[in-house]
Amino acid sequence: MKPAAPSLEATIARLLTVGTYASIGLVGVGTVLLLAAGRSPLDPAPDLDLGRLVPDLLSGQPAGFIWLGILGIIATPAARVLTALVGYRRSGERTMVLVAAAILVVIAAGVVTGTATG
Amino acid sequence: MDVGLLMLAGGIATGIFGSLLGLGGGILIVPFLTLVFGLPVREAVGVSLVCVIVTSGASAGVYLQRNVANLRLGMVLELFTAIGAVAGGAIAFLLDERLLAGLFAGLLVYVALTMLRRATASPSSDALPGGEADASPPPPSPMPVERASAAPATTQGTFMDRLSGPDYQIGRLRTGAAGSLFAGVVSALLGIGGGIVKVPVMNLVMGVPLRVATATSNLMIGITASTSAIVYLLRGGIDPFVAGPTAVGVFIGATLGSRTAHRIDLRVLRFLFVAVLVYTAFEMARRAAGATA
Repeated sequence: MKPAAPSLEATIARLLTVGTYASIGLVGVGTVLLLAAGRSPLDPAPDLDLGRLVPDLLSGQPAGFIWLGILGIIATPAARVLTALVGYRRSGERTMVLVAAAILVVIAAGVVTGTATG
Repeated sequence: MDVGLLMLAGGIATGIFGSLLGLGGGILIVPFLTLVFGLPVREAVGVSLVCVIVTSGASAGVYLQRNVANLRLGMVLELFTAIGAVAGGAIAFLLDERLLAGLFAGLLVYVALTMLRRATASPSSDALPGGEADASPPPPSPMPVERASAAPATTQGTFMDRLSGPDYQIGRLRTGAAGSLFAGVVSALLGIGGGIVKVPVMNLVMGVPLRVATATSNLMIGITASTSAIVYLLRGGIDPFVAGPTAVGVFIGATLGSRTAHRIDLRVLRFLFVAVLVYTAFEMARRAAGATA
């Protein structure tokens, strides 16, 4: 009987690696565009506006790439927890499923806290 | 353009130094952005959190693949670091900038003293004791690791058994949870990974081997820092233009540092770095006292 944990850890490892590299790649593209445009990082930067993300990306705006990369960076750990939740559910580890679910609830609480006080 | 390149170069330098000396990025990035570019501490903390997640994510994947990090234990403890991070993220926006700078100065002094003690006691050690050796991507080439050290001994037995490894049994989970909660608050307030708290708690209190504790702490940093980063992001506390070059620089630097660490005599570097930390602490303390940095 092969325990589920090793394959779950391999899956999570892959997710972390791909998520981190893809996200930092996007931030890198945005940074190159920013510097190539002769703009200073100390210039006023646009706030995060999800509605502007796609238009900014399509028009090659640095902010679009950097914001998407930052969102990816922040979302990758949460995606790791979600993947673990699914993996533990498959292997029948109820306590770990509850732990993973609780972490996601706390992350959601972070969203609520940030939104409510922002 | 010059400012951007300077930020990128500074990010690379902090990434290399952090990686070589076993420090997380945050302890260097916050003073760098605050003292060199005059950013408010809170804004620097927001950027630092992004950098910390990046370096943690890159190395956590490798640690998991090598079976060094204990996923179950990490997830249980990160539940508490995440709670602490939400609380710390909310508190950070209520505190005065000067108080934050003062807290950071205290942290720098603590790290400098710890590093100095370690340097004089054990010249061969690379990492800050209980520090954030965790925040640097490990070398890409496989190295001999106690492969079974982090994997749970069994999926049967008690919950504590499942959190333990085949060659170690963990204990004092409540104390570990309390320490993790505190680590989360510190991380959110100061923009560090929190390994400086988590590693000693796991290693000295819970009985987790140092190598596993360091790798597991690294894994936990992702959730700790991203939870507080969410609060910072939604409160407008992350500047994308500053975060871009800094995060890319830190990522490059940490990667370079991890590849060259084994070729460098770290003893001299460590003493030099203690001096840098003390100077930086002094400057942060001046800022806390209201002087212009």
